[in-house]
Amino acid sequence: MTPVFAAQGLARHYRSNGQTVPAVNGVDLTVERGEYVVIVGPSGCGKSTLLHLLGGIDQPTAGTLEILGRPVTALRDRELTSLRLREVGFVFQRFHLLPVLSAKENVMLPLAEAGVPRAARTARATELLAYVGLAGREHHRPTQLSGGEMQRVAIARALANEPTVILADEPTGELDAATGQAILDLFRRLHADGTTLVIVTHDAHLADQATRRVELLDGRVVADQSRDRG
Amino acid sequence: MLGLAWRNLARHPLRTGLTLLGVAVTAAMLLDMVMLGGGLDRSFGELLLTRGYQIRIAPKGTMPFDSEAAITQASPLIAALRAHPEVESVGPVLGATLYGRPRGADSLVTLVAYGIDPQDQGLYRLVRGRDLQPDGTGQVVVSAEAAAALGVAVGDSVRLAGGLDPLAARTVEVHPFEVRAVVEWLYDFQGQRSAGLPLPALQRLTGTADRDPVSFVMVRVAHDGAVPGVATALTEAHPSVEVSSVTDLMRQFRDRLLYFRQLSYILGTISLVVAALLLGTLVTVTVNERLGEIAALRAIGIRRSTIVSHIVLESTALTVVGGAAGAVLGLVTARYLDTILTAFPGLPASVSFFVARPDALSVAAALLLGTGLLAGVYPAWRAARLPLASTLHEEAT
Repeated sequence: MTPVFAAQGLARHYRSNGQTVPAVNGVDLTVERGEYVVIVGPSGCGKSTLLHLLGGIDQPTAGTLEILGRPVTALRDRELTSLRLREVGFVFQRFHLLPVLSAKENVMLPLAEAGVPRAARTARATELLAYVGLAGREHHRPTQLSGGEMQRVAIARALANEPTVILADEPTGELDAATGQAILDLFRRLHADGTTLVIVTHDAHLADQATRRVELLDGRVVADQSRDRG
Repeated sequence: MLGLAWRNLARHPLRTGLTLLGVAVTAAMLLDMVMLGGGLDRSFGELLLTRGYQIRIAPKGTMPFDSEAAITQASPLIAALRAHPEVESVGPVLGATLYGRPRGADSLVTLVAYGIDPQDQGLYRLVRGRDLQPDGTGQVVVSAEAAAALGVAVGDSVRLAGGLDPLAARTVEVHPFEVRAVVEWLYDFQGQRSAGLPLPALQRLTGTADRDPVSFVMVRVAHDGAVPGVATALTEAHPSVEVSSVTDLMRQFRDRLLYFRQLSYILGTISLVVAALLLGTLVTVTVNERLGEIAALRAIGIRRSTIVSHIVLESTALTVVGGAAGAVLGLVTARYLDTILTAFPGLPASVSFFVARPDALSVAAALLLGTGLLAGVYPAWRAARLPLASTLHEEAT
């Protein structure tokens, strides 16, 4: 089966003060469907940059990357955008919900973009909010929700178009331990339901529950361990 | 989409409110300038055609009411005009000054007098009373202002004189006239005291009967399409007079109003530039505040075109709401300014400087809407070109 991600010699270099800074430097990484991968490493080691490359929101300066068999450097912006909409779900550390929309409207946003009819997207958003434990909170605006609830709405939004993979960048970074645990439980459930997860984190608990741990240092993979959690 | 645009704008109600106010003021100014740009000449044209007379004949080199020059020995000319097969109606007009003495007063009231043919006149509308009779010697119709100044009503008698004896400081040739009606004179300026009487009566009263003068002649042609041909034929047949169709008069009038039009174009352009700056600034500021949100939306698969549409829609929503408020404000200010401008002496009170015609409203709306769209283009373009990874990285740190 086509892997979700297949990276060979993947690199992303930045120019800063006349110098080339290698944020990601020759990463070989393949992620298969159904995997639960955490990417760990010290701050500034290139975790988020790697996640952005995998999600097609940044372009590599060297190497190759295929997302579901499609080489990202050959895709036009429109195609990459469509790929992100339908196949990749993003969860951000700071949630990035639209504050003027209700929880349900936030979840409906990518559905509307994908052309899902109104009745179907309303039903799907309601179902997803119930899945993440927010039944009855559909009409609350983000400012009326706690951090954990906002992150759950963001996860529901990421799941809206039934993506192949969820990419999450420090999803518990803004949450306290108890709230973070609820998010961990949610990710565990998502994985159990068959969703592929790639998560960048500093959270040791989150790293422990994954089936595969990829460790980065100075933009390179220094360890890649699979663990059976079955 | 519109709901989302509006909710985004409502995040900062004071800022949005002030911008809407600014857009409303500039829209009002734009509307007023568009109305002013074509309003006066249109209004003047409509006024000239109020009674359907499409041609004016004046002394050579003049326009009606332009000077005190007159066409003398006018009866043969009038007869010739009436004999023209395409001509339906001929209304001679003599302008003069009369003096009336109010009841029980020593002072005199100066009146603008029109000598007209009661059966063929295009100068007034009856307000109350009855019109002059065809042979209405000894009859007069007056403006409401003249009636008030003279202290007379319909049916009263008024004594009018055609001149003053400067040595004796008293009127000469005083004649009694029956006030037949109070009328509205179409070409009078505001507050003008005017009286109308049959042309021969005015000629006698002013002592000019032997010269048989008229100031100008109004000619109505049966079919509008025949007007240019008739005007040309009359010019050739009567080279000693100035024959002008309403179209000619409007062209000359428009040339005289060039200053107004230039002023309105300049002020209208300024108002559009101010509106564009206001909208562009507000939308740019709101986009800058939402860069993280926009980058996240792009990351989850929202297309550039959707982002652009949302931002342009915000700018358009501001334009539409501000423009609607501006239309009301513009109409109110136009009415107020019109009362000031039409009070200028020498201008017919029934002309309007600001004419609210559907085409003027449409032009103003289209210009403003175009400006609103353009104002949203730069911030929308900026949002669409946002580097996603670095923006999200900056937001996270």
